[in-house]
Amino acid sequence: MPDDSAPPSLRSKRSITLRFNIPISKTSRFWEALGEGRFVTTKCADCGKVTFPPQADCPSCMGSNSQWVDLGTEAELLTFTFVQVTPTSFVDHDPYVVAIGRLKDGLNVLAWVEGGDPAKLKPGARLRVETRKDPESGPYYVFVTPS
Amino acid sequence: MRDVAIVGIGHSKFGRRMDVDLAELAFESIKGAMEDSGVQKKEIENVTLGSAGGWYEESLPAVLVNEYAGFEDVGTMRVEAACASGSAAVRSAYLSVASGEAEVAMAVGVEKMTEVDTLTSVELMGRSGSYLWEFENYGMTFPAYYALYAVSHMSRYGTTEEDMARVAVKAHHYASMNPLAQFHKEITLEKALSSQVVSWPLKLYDACPITDGSAAVIVASEEAARRLTDTPIWIRGIGFSSDSANLSKRADYVGLRATVDASRKAYAAAKVGPNDIDVATCHDCFTIAELMAYEDLGFCAKGEGSRLVREGQTEVGGRIPVNVDGGLKAKGHPIGATGVSMMVEIAKQLRGEAGGNRQASIKNGVGLVHNVGGTGHYCYVTVLSRSK
Repeated sequence: MPDDSAPPSLRSKRSITLRFNIPISKTSRFWEALGEGRFVTTKCADCGKVTFPPQADCPSCMGSNSQWVDLGTEAELLTFTFVQVTPTSFVDHDPYVVAIGRLKDGLNVLAWVEGGDPAKLKPGARLRVETRKDPESGPYYVFVTPS
Repeated sequence: MRDVAIVGIGHSKFGRRMDVDLAELAFESIKGAMEDSGVQKKEIENVTLGSAGGWYEESLPAVLVNEYAGFEDVGTMRVEAACASGSAAVRSAYLSVASGEAEVAMAVGVEKMTEVDTLTSVELMGRSGSYLWEFENYGMTFPAYYALYAVSHMSRYGTTEEDMARVAVKAHHYASMNPLAQFHKEITLEKALSSQVVSWPLKLYDACPITDGSAAVIVASEEAARRLTDTPIWIRGIGFSSDSANLSKRADYVGLRATVDASRKAYAAAKVGPNDIDVATCHDCFTIAELMAYEDLGFCAKGEGSRLVREGQTEVGGRIPVNVDGGLKAKGHPIGATGVSMMVEIAKQLRGEAGGNRQASIKNGVGLVHNVGGTGHYCYVTVLSRSK
């Protein structure tokens, strides 16, 4: 916002756009499965530790023999928020509800609550994970509130 | 390990500081700390700079600041622990002296956050987690992370939006008496409660502002400290810890595990407990964060943070005054400068130099700095005292 009383500043002529290429080779199965409508994660073949988000190397025993397992989709809402001031790269997006839900096996997931009415949500509410395919941004997952 | 004391403190005016660039801003505090201590430039053996960076044009702030201040042949580095970078810088200077490597060392915290637009700052802070799983598809923001904690705390313990607003009213009250604070106007509970919702249930007045600012401390060995000052402030114990990058990996959302662990370590190192603390700065980037800090630091039982603020126990004259400099909430929160600013405030309090109605009653001569990085990603707790 222009401010006549502001001290002089030099507006830099140089600008850069940061867009990262994020390596996902070790977890690409997760994103492929999402595209097929399945919600999966990694389980350590050595010690049995299941992790979410998926990771190739086990944080428990440090083994590197992971296998893919299906995750349940029923969750209990632990907490949520209704984001009304959105960051630059979401500036054209409608405000969104984000929740952390706990799956039956004890793993937590953070995702948007699709169509979630913040006035009706509270900790303890039932949620379900569903997969989505966006033609532009690729597959992702959301929570829905079962009717 | 040798005993180490803070012998000099410097602090810039906090706020939107478009009258200075990064190095000029840092210089204000460096000069202040040198004048306060009487230390000569040649005595300072190393400088650690706390700065998160990303929102200003420089990539190597530590050498830039060193050059501007004329430090030649002086070792330096920038340290990053998000909003706890300042405490991390002080720990680095402390270790340099405690180990016997240096007699006198300096820690500087500086951040210049207003050179980019507000929503870009919001974006850069929102990426402070596990990017692919929290930001890429879900656009988390810093207020949103703390809002997840607020909703859980409200649900578990009955904490209300009004309880959180009381923290903001207290912060603005004390900032109005702090000439270095970003804001100088008192606010009412009604004003706080009716402010714009940022990420429900957190509103504009639950959130700290975006701030430019710097702070510096000079630390010294006992021998150097006795020569330099009659009022050394001893660094009695530092505890630090961390928690998961991805918030969804945590067991619950009613407190910060990193705070509990860091404070346990700091109390043990300093051989004090929460009841010995005369005055504290707690990391109130959001109002809910201050209420959780009371609990996680042991100033009250879990779930009773809101009672403490309702009863005025954390004001001057109360059982344990907290953030009577205005806190991050109203003094301002220049990310990397905040931890050092907290050290400056507690040193002033223990020296009896806070002034006017901001001065806490010092009985045991012990103060505490609680500095969180990110959403409990990092935590540093530092215990300071008048005698060792």
